[in-house]
Amino acid sequence: MHQHAHPAPATHLTTALDRVFKVGVGGPVGSGKTALIEALVPILLRRGHSVGVITNDIYTQEDADHVRRTLDGVLDPARIMGVETGSCPHTAVRDDPSMNLAAGAELLERFGDIDTLLYESGGDNLTLTFSPLLADVYVFVLDTGEGDKMPRKRGPGITDSDLLVINKIDIAPYVRADLDVMARDADRVREGRPVILTDALRGTGLPEVADFITSRRRACSPSA
Amino acid sequence: MSLLAQLQLADSAFPGGLYTLSHGLESYAQAGPVDVAALLEDVLLHAAGPGDATALVLAHRAVRRDDWDTVVAVDQRLHAIKLNRELRAAATRTGNQVLRTAATVFATPELLRLVELTGAGATPGNHAVVLGTAYAGLGVAEDGAVTGDLYAFAASWVSAAVRLRRLDFRQAQATLYGAGPAIERAAAAALAARDPLDLYAATPIADTMSCAHERATARLFTT
Ligand SMILES: Nc1nc2c(ncn2[C@@H]2O[C@H](COP(=O)(O)OP(=O)(O)OP(=O)(O)O)[C@@H](O)[C@H]2O)c(=O)[nH]1
Ligand SMILES: [Mg+2]
Repeated sequence: MHQHAHPAPATHLTTALDRVFKVGVGGPVGSGKTALIEALVPILLRRGHSVGVITNDIYTQEDADHVRRTLDGVLDPARIMGVETGSCPHTAVRDDPSMNLAAGAELLERFGDIDTLLYESGGDNLTLTFSPLLADVYVFVLDTGEGDKMPRKRGPGITDSDLLVINKIDIAPYVRADLDVMARDADRVREGRPVILTDALRGTGLPEVADFITSRRRACSPSA
Repeated sequence: MSLLAQLQLADSAFPGGLYTLSHGLESYAQAGPVDVAALLEDVLLHAAGPGDATALVLAHRAVRRDDWDTVVAVDQRLHAIKLNRELRAAATRTGNQVLRTAATVFATPELLRLVELTGAGATPGNHAVVLGTAYAGLGVAEDGAVTGDLYAFAASWVSAAVRLRRLDFRQAQATLYGAGPAIERAAAAALAARDPLDLYAATPIADTMSCAHERATARLFTT
């Protein structure tokens, strides 16, 4: 019987995917993850990056199709892939991201120039976190429509994500959400980790989100 | 140690994305009422057994005698008899992901050799062939390996049936236990195989259902 005490040298097992900067975008249903990605992609492209998008929890092809429509003429539709998750979206990005890794590898095989992969997955503040093997940076998207108590409710998505986005600031008055309360509570529970307030449809806060992602790219891959 | 390694590899918690597959069941569920237990038996006896399980056994034996040409031949033949794009893609996606994790965790020379072969594009890296290679290198005997793998397939099948609301959790366990005789028959047939050309699958209706699934407008599962 073979017994091997030491794992193989990592070089045997690294793939092209390991060298690409991967951003996880998670958050509750309808908070604006797709809208954020659709607004972010053109900014990243303008800054000279080559992007691919992978959407999860697509019972239908809604998300992938929405991104393809919105980014028509901006991003080749073949660079956008949907992954079915057998009704376990958080498993697919947290516990066993095999199918997401496989989708990423396939995109890279087709488009060798991709340097940034955006992964979208729906999920609540308690269950949705990204495996560090799947995402170098993990952005959690809340919106004001969920109520201004949300940051106080905490959970790993809200407190531990690398960046917390509070989206739909434009509708805050209509849902009686106090932006100052949300921002203050978010800062408090995140102990100084970044929080950005956005309106993904009009673009408010989006350059700041792109700046954050770019800054983390340097931290995550010194060669880039 | 080989028993522990086998339990770890056959566990649904071992990452390989198997929970995203319904192995064709979702398409039947979308088409109407389905006898989950009877369909499972058919798939075990006419697809998973003579196809994947047989490939596992033949790859296991070939690895033991260091015959990598046959490992590749088995892998390519299994790829060829999977008629649907979806089923082919699922088998190689899960296979290559399991391969990477298993090669990191167990680091046997056999798994590292398969990493090289798949990395060079010499062989597709089907799930069954990856497992056969892993078990051979870890000293898991072929009969235990193939029975365990067919069990894992059946467990994955009933888990999909629960999520598709075709079984409740107790019916699922009863169905899994009830699949025992079919698993044993499928394993025996796989162990009797001698040559890559013995690999086959004969499930024309399931293949047609899988075709429909590829174009379904709503679906939870990859297959
Ligand atoms: N007013 C306003 N609406 C927004 C904003 N961002 C997104 N929306 C709208 O909110 C709705 C949901 O946005 P999506 O981007 O689809 O949200 P999502 O998080 O991707 O949703 P799922 O993928 O279904 O979980 C859509 O109608 C968007 O147009 C925003 O900043 N302000
Ligand atoms: Mg979305």
